[in-house]
Amino acid sequence: MNRIVTYLRVGLVVSAVVLWPETSLRANGGVKVVTTLPDLKYIVEQVGGSTVDVFAIAKGYQDPHFVDAKPSFVLRLNKADLFVQIGLDLEVGWVPPLLEAARNKRIYFGGSGLVNGAHGVDLLEVPQVDPSTMRAGGDIHVFGNPHYWLDPRNGKVIAENIYNALKAIRPDDEAFYRRNTDRFAARIDSAYQHWSTLMAPYAGTRIIAYHNSWPYFEQAFGIDIVGFIEPKPGIPPAPSHLVSVIKQMRDEKLKTIIISPYFDDKPAQSLARRTGAKVVAMAPSVGAFPQIITYFDLFEHNITMLLAAFRNSQ
Amino acid sequence: MLLQRWVTLTSIVFPAILMAASAGTSVESRATVQQESKSDTSQSALEKELAEELGLNPQQGTQDERKEPAISAATLAARRSFFQNMNPNISVVGSVFGNATSFDGVERNIDLGMEESEFAFQAVVDPFAKADFFVTFVKEQEAALNPGADAAAEEEEEEGGFNPELEEAYITFLSLPLSTQLKAGKFRSKFGKINETHPHAYNFIGVPQVYGNFFGGEGLGDEGVGLNWLLPNKRFFQELQIQVTSGPAENASFTRAENNRLLYLAHLKNFFDLNDNTTLELGITGLTGPNNAAGDATNMLAADLTVKWRPLQDRNQSIEWTSEFLLSNRETGRADINSLGFYSHLRYQFAPRWFVGGLFDYSEYPKYSDVHHLAYSGILQFLVTEFEKAELQVKYNNGNFFDSFAEVKLRAVFVIGAHGAHQY
Repeated sequence: MNRIVTYLRVGLVVSAVVLWPETSLRANGGVKVVTTLPDLKYIVEQVGGSTVDVFAIAKGYQDPHFVDAKPSFVLRLNKADLFVQIGLDLEVGWVPPLLEAARNKRIYFGGSGLVNGAHGVDLLEVPQVDPSTMRAGGDIHVFGNPHYWLDPRNGKVIAENIYNALKAIRPDDEAFYRRNTDRFAARIDSAYQHWSTLMAPYAGTRIIAYHNSWPYFEQAFGIDIVGFIEPKPGIPPAPSHLVSVIKQMRDEKLKTIIISPYFDDKPAQSLARRTGAKVVAMAPSVGAFPQIITYFDLFEHNITMLLAAFRNSQ
Repeated sequence: MLLQRWVTLTSIVFPAILMAASAGTSVESRATVQQESKSDTSQSALEKELAEELGLNPQQGTQDERKEPAISAATLAARRSFFQNMNPNISVVGSVFGNATSFDGVERNIDLGMEESEFAFQAVVDPFAKADFFVTFVKEQEAALNPGADAAAEEEEEEGGFNPELEEAYITFLSLPLSTQLKAGKFRSKFGKINETHPHAYNFIGVPQVYGNFFGGEGLGDEGVGLNWLLPNKRFFQELQIQVTSGPAENASFTRAENNRLLYLAHLKNFFDLNDNTTLELGITGLTGPNNAAGDATNMLAADLTVKWRPLQDRNQSIEWTSEFLLSNRETGRADINSLGFYSHLRYQFAPRWFVGGLFDYSEYPKYSDVHHLAYSGILQFLVTEFEKAELQVKYNNGNFFDSFAEVKLRAVFVIGAHGAHQY
């Protein structure tokens, strides 16, 4: 009999502990948003303003293909109202285990709070090969190249997707979200025009990149990446491949190599020494370098760096 | 004698070929490079120079990713439905091995072959659940060292064949009230740090000695249900799993009782972010279940500690350290048997795809606390891509019931299809 009383007491304490934080957390207002990349966090904050409370899982200086699915992120996802990802399998190595562990129907596959930023983006490099031979090409993404946020015009598409998700959660704030989204789109338009004017004299400039993360950027700003330091996406370079890149750079007089902070810069520096080219540290995401705080800083930095390199090589 | 020497040679050459072939080179592209270097001899000198400067292996081909035209979302959707159909994600994991041992209690000291093929089928069932099936074909190998093993019983199993086995088959309800999940079917038990993981994904070859001695070569798996509760702790991640299973059919510590006794397991996982680059996981497992038909119990208490250092910005270096400790109390008709086991594994990444590791094993046996198996291993791993790895392990075995012996093990593991990501 005593035992039963003890069990009941333990049961009461346990259920009190369980129920209390559930209710208290749901009560405090703001829409809880978790994003995969900091770029998405910035855009959610532009659209949602003071109504959102956003956390980005990956750091801007981290390779977004390889983020550890740490259980600590599960705590954030468990309470999230919205989860915004880049999609197109960019995060396939770490998002599914996190969503499965999150125990949150709102953001699980099929849930209304799962936002795919790619919806409506014109995709590049969708593989046209038999899926069973696809991995022979290295880390190829089945649905197309996922680095679409590096075209600022796609920032507007992402914002629109976020707007649709936010207005579904807080219909009362729809007008507020609409205004913010339009204002963000207008800022993108004018900034893009400015950047395009700066880049126009260098249209068609041919350069080398480390990884195939820039096709959308190329399309947006008219530069032409003609070779990669990686022999295939995700495969580190070996000397025989670097030799062929050096030959290409000498033959075609290529003077610029772009790399991202999470790749080993030694191969790029070796090539630069032998060809007289300049290595440009590009920012692949918001937060890649401490001074890149906004989505606009991202392009401002990349374009300034490229222009400096192009001017020097003339 | 000659034959034996030839086999030794093969087992050395075989992994070398494998690693060379898997280094990301297509024969075609290598040929192109060779042709080019004939026309320009200074090219090979430059290649060498670059290899030394960057510490690289002078291999691999060259091929650019040609750009494809833009494609609309509608075309994309059509394409997806074309090759994805309604099939679940299907993947196959293969594991090839080569072993050499100086142990004289076996018929063959050198062996190679196909260790295991695992077929996985995974998909979402409906808005509430997902399902996972793993069917394996495992090579029946010579019995491991086992004090007091029943020789006649061991003989019955046919060696060299591949026995199909349902390794796991379960449904998981992912989001039940109060942040719980429910799992039902046949699954690997949530014991310690690595029991839930399939052995081909381990960073050493085979299971640690303590798992082998207390649960058998494939770890602890059973049929039943499991409840997985994310504790409402806002400061750090805490998960409590409780599993009730019917008792494994074949296991060194447990058996399926003829009466109503079941196997009960509880695991508490605590996870801490020490900083952006360092994490610490501490787990505690308690386990009780029948060890004979009459229903005598074996009780276990286990602890696991894992520390990982993985710099966010530098994927070329990392350190992982995992240790597990197990205490077992086995009831018998007479006096209880109390025995223990322990392992500690340290793994260091020294280059983009290269890892070196050390494994220390000490384990007694569930039925014998006075005999133990002690082992020291050195491990080298080469992760070709996310889908392929090659491993070399040198293991020195010592114990108080056999003559010391050394082993050299080689393993290559590869996967095709959409295989689910592994847990952190």
